[in-house]
Amino acid sequence: MAELLQYLITGLAVGMVYSLIGLGFVVVWKSSGVANLALGAIVLISSWFTYGMLVQAGLPLWLGFPLVILFALVLGWVIERFALRPLIAQPILSLITVTLGLAYFIEGLVNFIWPWSVDALPRLFPTEPIRIGLAVVSQEYIWVASISLVMFGLLTLFFRYHKMGIAMRATADDQLAVQACGIPVTKIFSMSWMFACVVAAVGGILISSIGGITYGLVETGLKSFSVVILGGLDSFIGAIIAGPIIGLAESLGGGYLSPYIWAGVKDIIPFIIIIIVIIIRPYGLFGEERIERI
Amino acid sequence: MLNLNNIEVTYLNVIRVLHGVSLEVQEGSIVALLGANGAGKSTTLKAISGLLYAEEGEVTDGSIHWNGERIDRKSAEEIGKLGIIQALEGRRVFGHLTTEENLLVGAYYRKDRRAIKQDMAMVYDYFPRLKELHHNTAGYLSGGEQQMLVIGRAMMATPKLMMLDEPSLGLAPILVEEIYDIIKRFNTEHKTSVLLVEQNVRIALSIANYGYVMENGRIVLDGSAEFLKNNEDVKEFYMGLTAMGTKKSYREVKHYKRRKRWL
Repeated sequence: MAELLQYLITGLAVGMVYSLIGLGFVVVWKSSGVANLALGAIVLISSWFTYGMLVQAGLPLWLGFPLVILFALVLGWVIERFALRPLIAQPILSLITVTLGLAYFIEGLVNFIWPWSVDALPRLFPTEPIRIGLAVVSQEYIWVASISLVMFGLLTLFFRYHKMGIAMRATADDQLAVQACGIPVTKIFSMSWMFACVVAAVGGILISSIGGITYGLVETGLKSFSVVILGGLDSFIGAIIAGPIIGLAESLGGGYLSPYIWAGVKDIIPFIIIIIVIIIRPYGLFGEERIERI
Repeated sequence: MLNLNNIEVTYLNVIRVLHGVSLEVQEGSIVALLGANGAGKSTTLKAISGLLYAEEGEVTDGSIHWNGERIDRKSAEEIGKLGIIQALEGRRVFGHLTTEENLLVGAYYRKDRRAIKQDMAMVYDYFPRLKELHHNTAGYLSGGEQQMLVIGRAMMATPKLMMLDEPSLGLAPILVEEIYDIIKRFNTEHKTSVLLVEQNVRIALSIANYGYVMENGRIVLDGSAEFLKNNEDVKEFYMGLTAMGTKKSYREVKHYKRRKRWL
């Protein structure tokens, strides 16, 4: 029982981080139709950058964290401006291929600057375990889950009520009509990339503050990709709900099955779920319906 | 106010669709751009609004001036900021947004929240139907409602020149009349110039001050609405009337076509 609760909480927390990173994917996909395959690499480099700020430069958190966000914003802007904008109006496959190239470029850059490839971030959250009923859970997970929840709330408000958020959703529906309203779509694209990089950075920090910085962060990005496929590529709510599903499947499956099968089963379960869901609902759990009037 | 001076438009560097189009829109007037499918009407509008670039088209010759300023090299957002707003053909609402959000997107550039609120009320005043539907998802509105929404969205940008691309397309005649009444009212009450692309010549000329007829990428005839309404060729080819002004009877249709005099 105690074990179960523990698995549930860690699964939920990690899953919510997947959702958070996945939201960045959804925004880029919705506004420009580009599948961002560099997501994992962005998570990786922003975690290393956090390491650089907090450990190597020895900055305090209140200064280091804003710098990381700034770094993510600049990264997003640069990626959009110099890698993707020149390809506007080109076949979408070229744009997706560019993001793949970016992924390798960024990973190479990380290897170049931080060649030792594994390290730990300083603890950002108090670590003493707390008791919930019978279970003993590391407090970190509760913190991670709450921060993700707050981010979801903020993002929802942004996309619902902020002018820019509404315009970004409008771009997802009809780019040309947005331009006809005199709105610069290029600005919307670059906003969506900046947004994607920021949530990837925050997600990266949350994950690596618990698990350390490893090459596995790229896989975390990949998992977010699968979260988004499960939830529906163009659905915010889908990403938010599918994250915890994947997280739970991972931690429950890992906890209960790996002693009997083999240790790697944890990483496969989410993908098995995805394959099943995609067979039944090809556009994901919450993929947007095409609105068609007859 | 708006001057097109002998413009040529080429798509993809090879397909020339406009061969020297000149037209003028006076301040506060309604100008109709008439013609059949493929005449180049929509392309002319896109050349003005700067949307050509999104479709790999380009103004290759001639110039477009707005209050003396040359705008044919400007981007769509710069032109939008100048107050030239186009409502695209085919009721392109943002399907997953609500009616109200659609209108807000139209007001994207404006900072003054109070003025935006007032204009929202103004749009709802012009289109009371939209007020009832302000929380509904735009994709599920009826065709007429969507057309109203598209025009309302253009109004929200407080345009100086509103360009409407076939607002009558696919709508019931009674709705068409309602929408045209509103366009006319908006034009008189706000002194907004309107450049109207239309195939429905009769209704367009009922509110326009001036009209141009396009064919194959050229302007073949222009004149005041009165002049065009009484022109034999316009009547024959665009309004389906005979020279006598009565409805054409297909019993008497001859095997040869009347020759258009302007060609």
